[in-house]
Amino acid sequence: MFEYFGYIALGVLGTVGVTFGALAIGTVVGMPLAWLRRSRHAIVRMPAVAVIEVLRGVPNLVWLFLVFFGLPQIGIRLDPWSSAILTLGVASAAHIAEIYRGGLAGLSRGQWEASDALGLSRMDRRRLIVLPQMQRVIVPTMATYAIGLLKDSALASTIGVVELTFRGGVVTQRTGDGLTTFLVVGVVYLLLSLPLALAARRVDSRMRAKFSVG
Amino acid sequence: MGMFEEFIGDLVALAPGLRNAAQLAATTIALAYPLGLLLGVLLDNRVRLVRIATLVVVELGRGMPLLVILYLVYRGLPEVGVRLDAMPSAIIAFTWSIGAYSADMFRSSIHAIPPGQREAAIASGLNARDTLRFILLPQAARIAIPPLMNLAIITFQLTSLAYAITLPEIMHAAYLRGSVTFRYLDTFVVAAVLYAVVAIPAALLVRRLERRLSRHLA
Amino acid sequence: MSQVSEGLLEGARHAPVSLRTTDVTMRFGETYAVRDVSLEVAAGEVVSIIGPSGAGKSTFLRCINQLEVPTSGTVQVGDKSVVFGAGPRRDREIADLRRNVGMVFQSFNLFPHLTVLRNIALPQERVLGRTRKDAEARAMALLNRVGLAEKAESYPGKCSGGQQQRVAIARALALDPAVMLFDEPTSALDPEVGAEVLAVMKELAHEGMTMLVVTHEMAFAHDVSDRVVVMVDGSIVEEGDPKTVMESPTHPRTQQFLAAVLGR
Repeated sequence: MFEYFGYIALGVLGTVGVTFGALAIGTVVGMPLAWLRRSRHAIVRMPAVAVIEVLRGVPNLVWLFLVFFGLPQIGIRLDPWSSAILTLGVASAAHIAEIYRGGLAGLSRGQWEASDALGLSRMDRRRLIVLPQMQRVIVPTMATYAIGLLKDSALASTIGVVELTFRGGVVTQRTGDGLTTFLVVGVVYLLLSLPLALAARRVDSRMRAKFSVG
Repeated sequence: MGMFEEFIGDLVALAPGLRNAAQLAATTIALAYPLGLLLGVLLDNRVRLVRIATLVVVELGRGMPLLVILYLVYRGLPEVGVRLDAMPSAIIAFTWSIGAYSADMFRSSIHAIPPGQREAAIASGLNARDTLRFILLPQAARIAIPPLMNLAIITFQLTSLAYAITLPEIMHAAYLRGSVTFRYLDTFVVAAVLYAVVAIPAALLVRRLERRLSRHLA
Repeated sequence: MSQVSEGLLEGARHAPVSLRTTDVTMRFGETYAVRDVSLEVAAGEVVSIIGPSGAGKSTFLRCINQLEVPTSGTVQVGDKSVVFGAGPRRDREIADLRRNVGMVFQSFNLFPHLTVLRNIALPQERVLGRTRKDAEARAMALLNRVGLAEKAESYPGKCSGGQQQRVAIARALALDPAVMLFDEPTSALDPEVGAEVLAVMKELAHEGMTMLVVTHEMAFAHDVSDRVVVMVDGSIVEEGDPKTVMESPTHPRTQQFLAAVLGR
């Protein structure tokens, strides 16, 4: 078992790669999605709502299989890594869009009004007033979401991405010791999520101290 | 074969999978929520050792990917002589994971109750058990209902993972069907529709309920 | 108020008794929230505690029924006493003491998931072992006396603040306490609503309940209490009959405080 530990540990790279790849896509694609979702015009808002609901309503594994096993039927062939990162990324954009929206909703109308009353430009209003306050709400939620994504990245193993869980499967096949192997794999996930959890908590309390007006 | 016939054929092929998925989700919820309630209460137990042991169970259940827990049970337990079929294995793994998540929800709901409630109960002379049973838990249950309902929807979606341990749920059925018809895309789209028609209306319903509840509390 | 004149203590199991605290102290490191507070309230006496906010009045009150655990000192209710800071906590003694002490909170703390009637009946059933029938009969009798019989089946959320506080008083009285503690019972209420609550408290005082009241209502302290205690920085600085303390205070901190609240 011990001689395989290095082999398993190497899977951290794959897991972290899929997670952050997907997170990067999600944070970027999530922005326009959140923006459209908040539109005053139903004709813009409704499609965004539909996209978000469908992305969230269908399980990630199903999206993954659709892309990896399904798309070749219409001639689109992606390798396992691209499939995993792209699929998890776009699926997470829906969740992240909702996180952005929550951050904006948490801001009281009065903040905009006060900024306007003070004569701040639109640019300054966004940069100096809205974004810093949104950050307070968003950062802890995002860190928590990133932990969820880290665990979801295990799904990539089902289409052959050689990350932590996949390597756990290989080792189990060779040693027959699935109990120790998957316990080790599971604990590695836990350890990986630890910095994110701490970050969420620290940022959270630091922000709260900084912003504790009312 | 026309497109409509193909669609019906896919639906018929996936139907038993939907039944198994629903059975797994329902059994999980019936077992995981009571377990979660127990764990959630034990997380605040007076005895340090009980607290720590509970925390380990909850953090492992929440911190490990469900897929890994599934493998741990299905491919790991035979190591110690426990050989279980896919369904019981899935039920154990799901109950652990979902139970751990709900434990956190139950606990934070109890913590969300204003401290005056506990104080008034204590000042009235209620002992710790009665305070929990008559004052805190009924109020915590109300707070926990929306998140627990959301978790139930997520549980249904997560049943797709049981594919990995060969449980004949929706994805398993879809994959088998695809390997016969070679129309993987069509079949997985039908699978996606099956999940969506359950999950999306349910989520909308929960959100409406949530809004109603929050209006009541405010 | 004629609706409460039938007697709030009618049907109670025992008569009010005295309350005595000796050197009650609550300390966090080097900071004292409450310091060596010794106070005696005779059976049937009404004592008001006044003083600036942050003086430890509420903390002291909460020490009496162990909502806060004092660092040291003794609390004696009737002939039963609990000593703190020496030896292990005696849960049995504390439960016993709490059973004899009723408490009314600033924020009412009614149980929102129970009807007004159940709020009053449930503790009787669980703590005193009364049957549901007896407990609800007693609850109805008390609701009648605080003028809220028609609210019995309502939930607290549907009651005004003043009504909630009167229910809270009934809930405490239903357990037949020998001593009643009031922690700023009218601070969360508008003055005219607070008057309903003060009327019930006055009634209770006339019926001979032993009462210790932390209050900002100078009129109540002056008119209703037998004695007034002034707390500043966790300690008692002055005490005596209301007229003497409030009209010609001797301690500079009392003078300062009264000047601020009475605008003199």
